[in-house]
This record gives sequence, C-alpha cells and structure tokens, in this order.
Amino acid sequence: MSLKAGAANSPGTHEASRRTFWGRLINWTPYRLLMGIVTASPRRQFLILAAFPVLWLLTQHLGPMLQMLRVSLTDAYPVAPGVEQHFTFDNYARFFGDRIFWQPFFRTLIFASVLTFCTLILTYPVAYFLACHVSRKNQMLMLLLLLIPFWVGEIVRTYAIMILLGNTGAVNLVLKWFGLIDRPIPFMYTSFSMGIGIVYLTALYMLLPLYSALEKLPKSYNEAAADLGAGAWTRFRRVTMPLTLEGVSSGCILVFLISTGFYATPVLLGGPSTTVFAETIAGFFHVAGDEWPTGAAFATIMFVTAMLLTGIFQRLMYAMRKGDTK
Amino acid sequence: MSRSTFNRRRFLGTAAMSSAVLASPAYLRRAHAAGGEVNIWTYNDFVPKAFKEQFESETGIKVNVRLVDDQGKQFNLLAAEAPNPTVDIMTVAGHRFLQFIDSELLAPLDTSRLSNWGNINPTFSESDWATINGNKWGAPILSGMEVLSYNTELVSAEEAQTWDTLFSEKYSGQTAYIIQDMMSIVMLMKGYDGNMVAYMDDPDKAAAIVEEAKQFLIEKKPMVRKYYDSGAEVQQMFVNQDIALGHSWNGPAAALINDGFPLAMSIPQEGSYGFVYTYNIANNAPNVDNAYTFLNAILASPEIGASMTKASGFISTYKDASNYLTDLEKASTSFPEEQLANLQFFRAEANEMKYGLVDPAVEAIKAA
Amino acid sequence: MNRGNRVFLSCVYWSFVLYVFVPLFLMILMGFKDSKFIGFPIRSWTLDWYTGVFADAEVLSTLGYSITIAVLSTLISILVGTWIAVLLEGRRFLGRAAMFGLTILPALVPGIISAIAFRIYARLLGIEPGMGAIIWAHAVHNVPFVGLVVMARLSTLPKSQIEAARDLGADPIVAFVRITLPYLIPAILGASIFCLLLSFDDFVRSFFLGGYDPTLPVLIFAKLRSGMSPEINAIATVALVLTAAIGIWAERFTRRMNKDVNS
Repeated sequence: MSLKAGAANSPGTHEASRRTFWGRLINWTPYRLLMGIVTASPRRQFLILAAFPVLWLLTQHLGPMLQMLRVSLTDAYPVAPGVEQHFTFDNYARFFGDRIFWQPFFRTLIFASVLTFCTLILTYPVAYFLACHVSRKNQMLMLLLLLIPFWVGEIVRTYAIMILLGNTGAVNLVLKWFGLIDRPIPFMYTSFSMGIGIVYLTALYMLLPLYSALEKLPKSYNEAAADLGAGAWTRFRRVTMPLTLEGVSSGCILVFLISTGFYATPVLLGGPSTTVFAETIAGFFHVAGDEWPTGAAFATIMFVTAMLLTGIFQRLMYAMRKGDTK
Repeated sequence: MSRSTFNRRRFLGTAAMSSAVLASPAYLRRAHAAGGEVNIWTYNDFVPKAFKEQFESETGIKVNVRLVDDQGKQFNLLAAEAPNPTVDIMTVAGHRFLQFIDSELLAPLDTSRLSNWGNINPTFSESDWATINGNKWGAPILSGMEVLSYNTELVSAEEAQTWDTLFSEKYSGQTAYIIQDMMSIVMLMKGYDGNMVAYMDDPDKAAAIVEEAKQFLIEKKPMVRKYYDSGAEVQQMFVNQDIALGHSWNGPAAALINDGFPLAMSIPQEGSYGFVYTYNIANNAPNVDNAYTFLNAILASPEIGASMTKASGFISTYKDASNYLTDLEKASTSFPEEQLANLQFFRAEANEMKYGLVDPAVEAIKAA
Repeated sequence: MNRGNRVFLSCVYWSFVLYVFVPLFLMILMGFKDSKFIGFPIRSWTLDWYTGVFADAEVLSTLGYSITIAVLSTLISILVGTWIAVLLEGRRFLGRAAMFGLTILPALVPGIISAIAFRIYARLLGIEPGMGAIIWAHAVHNVPFVGLVVMARLSTLPKSQIEAARDLGADPIVAFVRITLPYLIPAILGASIFCLLLSFDDFVRSFFLGGYDPTLPVLIFAKLRSGMSPEINAIATVALVLTAAIGIWAERFTRRMNKDVNS
C-alpha cells in the first residue's frame, strides 16, 4: 500500500461495492444485524467506542500514577517491618523549602524549552526538504536513512559522542591535523556536548510529526501564493507555516516532554554545573535507596509543571491557528 | 542411547527435538533442570563462565544470573519483590549491609554450612564490618578501594602521593571524581573520621564536618572537569585525555592498566577507604539449599577468585589467588605496604547519620 | 520553486545526515579496535569483537528477545493508541480533556518513576516479572506517542470523505476501515517506528520488570560496568545491521503482499 493511499481510496459506487469483499460484508445478514444493534443510536455507538479506552486509561495509565501519588504522600516506602506508615505532605514541603532543588528544576525546564526550539529550527528545513523537494519515490528512502542511527541504543550513541568530542576525539584530531589548533578544545562535559547529545535523541521525535504535516501540504497552495506575487519568505510565513502548525505543536510537545525526563545522556555528557532534575529525582531512588516518597513527590511536581506548560503551549498554538485562519 | 534400538523414526524425532531446542533462544529453554536452580543477581563477570558451566554439569543445578549495575537498583528491586523474592543470592557491598538488614532483605549466613569458608583471607572474612548483630551476612569475594588514578605521562608519582594534587591549580580542568565518595575522602584529608562513627554521639560536630567538606568541594568546583558516576565514564575520560588524574575505584583503573594504558594508582598519604563485595543470601530465598551449594563451590579454589579479579580488576579476597595472576595483573591489583597502611574499610554503623548529612550536601554541591 | 532555496535546503539535509551518521561511523569503527577500550588513537585492529558476537549465544538470543518484545508491545500500542485517538479526535464530550490528559500521562513520567510504579503495580495485578511484564510496560508507555501522532493526522482528514462513504451505504466500521484507516497509515507507520525504537532502547523499565533474561540495553548496561569495550560497539553494530535487515525484509514483504492483494 502506498503512503498516499488514503485520499485516493474512494469506496466506489454502491453497485460496484456489491462485488467486493466489503460490499459482500455489508450485505451479509448477521453482520447487518450486529451493526444494527451496535449503531442503533449515536449514544450507544459512542459508548461502545469509548468503553475500552476508558477502561484501559483508568487501569493502565492512571493506576501506576495513583500508586506513585500514594507513595509520595507517605513517610516510608517500601515499608520496613514493624514500621507504621503515615500520611504526610512533608515530601512536597521539602522541595519548596529548599532552594538547592529549585536550580536543577528550573534548569531542566529551560534546557528542555531551548532544546525543543533548537530541534525545531534544525529539523524543520530537513523535513521541509524531504517533503517538498524530494520526489515521492525517494522520500521514504531518505527519511529511513535518517532513522538508521537512532536504532543504536542511547548509551552506545552517547559514548560515540564522547569519542567524537573528547580531547583526543575525532573533531580535535581533524582540527589538529589541519593545523587549526595546537591544544585540544575541551568540548566535553559542557552544555554544548550535552546539547549535541540530546538533540541527537530528540531530532527523530520532531522530524516525524513535521514530515507527516508537511507531506500532506498541497503544492498548489504555494504555487497560488506565488502567482499572487508572494515572496518565498511570505509564502512560508503565510501559507506553509500556518498549515503545519499542528505538526509543529505535536512535535514540540513530544520533544519537550521527553527531554524533561532525560537522564542518562545529561549525566554522561554534562558537566559539574549541568545537573538536571531527573538526576535529582533518580538520586532519591539510586543513591539513597530509601527515599522513594521524596523521589515520588518530586516526580509529581515535575509532572504537574510539565503538564501545565504543555497545556499553556497548546492553548497558545490553538489561538495562533484560530488567528491565522481568520 | 544404544545404537541397535535407534530406528529411523526415533532418530528423526530426536533430531527434530534437539534442533528445536538448539533453535529456541535461551529464554524459552529455561526448563527446570534436575537439580533445580539458583537465582543470582550480580555484576557482569562476577560469576566466571567456566566455573558456571562446571558447576551446572557437576550438580545439575541451573544457574540463572541476572546482571545488575549498581547497589541502589538491587535494593529497589529486592524491596519491590519482598517478602517473596525471586532471588537466592545477591551481591551487596559490605558497608551497605545495614540498609538491607534493616529492611529484612538479607538472611544471616550460616558459615557452618560452608566448608570452604576458610579459603577466604581473614582480613576480609573477620573484618569489623563483616559481623552485624552477631551474625555474618555475606561471603566476601572481591575487594575494592578508593584510589587516586593518574596518567603517568602527565602526572608524577610524587604528585600522586597526596589528594591535594587533585585540587591543585596545575591540573585545573583535568580532574574528575565521584562526589559522594569524595565527601568521605575530603573528611579524611581534613583529619576527620570519614565513616563518622566517631561522631555518633555528637551530631552537631558531624554536621559541622560535613559542612566544612561541602564548602571545600564547592570552592574547588570551578576546577573539576566532571562529577562522574560509573567506572566506564572515568576510563573513557582517561582514554580521551579529558582528564589527567582523578579519584576512582581500583577496579576500573586496573582494567585500563592491564590494557596497556599509561595509568597508575596510589593510596595517598592522607588515607583512603576500601569496600568489599559479598555474596549474600536473600531473606526467604526460594532455593536456599542450592544457594549454599553454590557459595561453597565458588569459594572452593583460589583459581576462581583469580579469574574474578582478571575480569573485574578488583582484588580477590581468596587466600593465594594472586598465584594465578600474570605479573601485570598482579601489579595492577597490589599496592606497596606503606600505602596499604593508609587504607581503612568503610563502615556502616553511622551510615544513617552520615548519609542524612552527605546526600543533601551532594545536592548542594551539584546545585552550587 | 526557487533554485537557491533548494540548494540551501539540500545542504541542510546533508549536513544533518552527516551529524547523525558521524557518531554512528565512529561506533562501528571502534568495534574493530584491538583494545579493551574504545577511543583514539587506534594502534591495531581486530575482527575478534565481531566474531565474538556471533559466537556468543547469549548476545544473539538477547537480541531476539528484545526484537520480540519491541514488535509485540508495538502492536498493542498501535491498537490501543489508534482506538483512543479515534475516540478523542473531533468529538466533544464530558471528560474529553481528562481523557486526553490520561492518554499522554505515561509519556510524562520520568523513566525511573514509571519503572518503579509499573513494578509495584504489576505486583498488585499479579503480573510476574519477565517478558510479559516488559511487553505490558512498553505497550502502556508507548500508547501516548501513537495517540498524539494519529490524532494529528486524523485532524486533517476531510470530513466530506467519510460523509460521502456513509451516503454510499457504508456503516461506521466499513467507513473506518476503508477511508479512515488507509488515511492513517503514514501516521501509524511513523508511530510504529517510534514505538519499536522506544521499546528497543528502553533500559529502566526492562530492568525493573524483567526476569533473569536481559534485554539488549540491560545486557549492555551490565557489560558497561567492566568498561566501554569495543565488544559493546560490535554488539550494537550487529544489532543495527540485523534489525535493519529485518526492517527491509518486512517492508518488501508487506509491499509484495499488498501487490498480491491488489492485483
């Protein structure tokens, strides 16, 4: 099946459909009876459609989180024998009461926002090139080409970046070989090396939604705009950009959310002053081992904040789309 | 199987079955072996492959190894599984015993069931940290220590005699350390007891000492290249020449030395700390008898201890294990007597107070 | 279209290719280094690490284990995620916002937290640690990504097409299968790639929910403790080549199947 199948696939005429599998199915009596029951009223139709997702969301998505919330409100977990568990807000108070936790917290939010923006700037032209300047036949191939490196696990790829940026790394070796530098440039263990590593991880999550938004952009719109005398920049700003806002916003949300939770890459590539909040949280589970409630409370705080920011962002994008279509 | 009764159909059947067994990956093949099984959580290479195969064929007990990579994760995992763990034997560092014991995750070790207990060097088996509440809790297998590692092409042996070099202007931007471990060492540098056992009755003094160590590390923060966590990281920093010297455990450093990298280690004059990995039996373990059989077998010969050392770079706790090491391996796992005299073991008695103070200090240093 | 633009954009594309591929080549290259540690300078070369991977039954069966988990969990995520997206997109009903929030919830939880939450919850549900538990955790964790991507695509489906199909006598299910689903295929393919990747690369959930058989990242993490050896690079390279081969085969296979069906 080709990727652009959707729009081209019309159900055909009623007469013709009688001969196909689907046609036969529609006219098969037991099926018609079943459909009669299922679609008796829009209300019933909706209930049948909604039953499974609601059940899944409540048991699978909410269940583990409620468990975490419960842990965050206790003073001991896992409960040692002979110890009584108490309800408490202390774990939350600990975050608000101690400034040393704020810095990694805000740093994470800022890093995530900046990196999301960088990823967008970097991948938009790539996705645009693929979707609008490459023939259909090559599009999939060139997209898949970009996906290959992502199949290498995060850790292995991160070590490869160390080999790239280290003092005796590939970049420094090449610069030295060309005689551009005498002593190696210390790229590693800075915000720069961390950014390089993280954008590597996030690019894919931005690229795919952008591509799928750009791919369905009708060429005729841009041509029409060009006929009306709009310059390249104006065409982009007034036609392409607004029509791909949906892809931009889902890509940004994905990348932002994922990058607030990054742990291994910042830990391995960052420096002494780039501690992220995931590291702080993990500390309560890893190093201390017995501070799960505090870790759970901090995770809840991060989660609520990321959720709020995503909500605001979505509102903003929605308003922008509304404004543009006026 | 005798050849006479081996008719064609039977042969085909057997062949099909055995090829099915061969083709199915190990995770489908995990049948219950004749002698039952024993489940072990341990680090990569801590159960030598040759030993494992020999043990399985001799006892019929299937050895299932689950690889872990740090102490905290083992604790979390076990805590999540308690009170009915799937594991029989874990690998806990001696100074972490208390945390596991307090949560009733470990069973006391009945050394009378281990006829090979005597093969362990008493320095480790009878050490002060090894007995808690009148019981032994684990069989020591490998020993590690906090050392100063340095690139011999960049740093001299004299400079490596003191931890101060790690904080000197000369090597600014070329050092790395594990910050939690460094807190204990800085306390030693300042002449205090890094185990904090001495201050158990004087929490104010303890807090003041941690504060002093914290301020020192914050002051030196601009000069450090990286606070790292894992041995692989510090190895990579040395290989990439991102650092010239750093604090590390002896295991990862020994592995680099054995690979021919120009690296050396020292136990500086201010002193340092050692720790011991032990095999422990989980409380309520499903296969206790097999666990004792396994422990006794792995303690049987110094050669097994030597092969653990070869793989991990840590020092064997077995008597005479060094007889089975090459000269380079020996050199990378031994220290001069006068340096060893500076070494003491981590102790657990004051851990609750110590880490209650040190953990927030570490957060503060990272945030500073 | 403007020629200069095109040249500029293709430069951007190829420099991006360079950026993602240079670390990859370094990784492959280091698998041939005759030393226990990766990094420059490389003084001598060896094939031992690669031959070692093929000689090691554990690595190969781990790879098979990881691929199985990735494929099964992805199938579940796609099914559930698409279902949820179809329910949520373009409808207004009480609790829709709450359902949307719940849908993306698993993606928001930091890895370690979600792993432990899953572990505790698995015990509550009576799920034994092992392959089933990992598949379950990966499936739940990946549903939000499927939901977001499919919803984005669904929002652009012209309503007129569905209405036309309904006018021609198609009931909701047939209209969905014949119109909506084909339109969603690119999004579903994209989301599958997401899910496969996330599952294949996941360490922390696999670690906490796994039994005695490691997935590939768990094995690599454990091996990493004794140093970042070229062996790990060789394993990763072999995994890359094998999964790529399977991917290409699957693509060919489905294409051929579609041809057969269509002809």
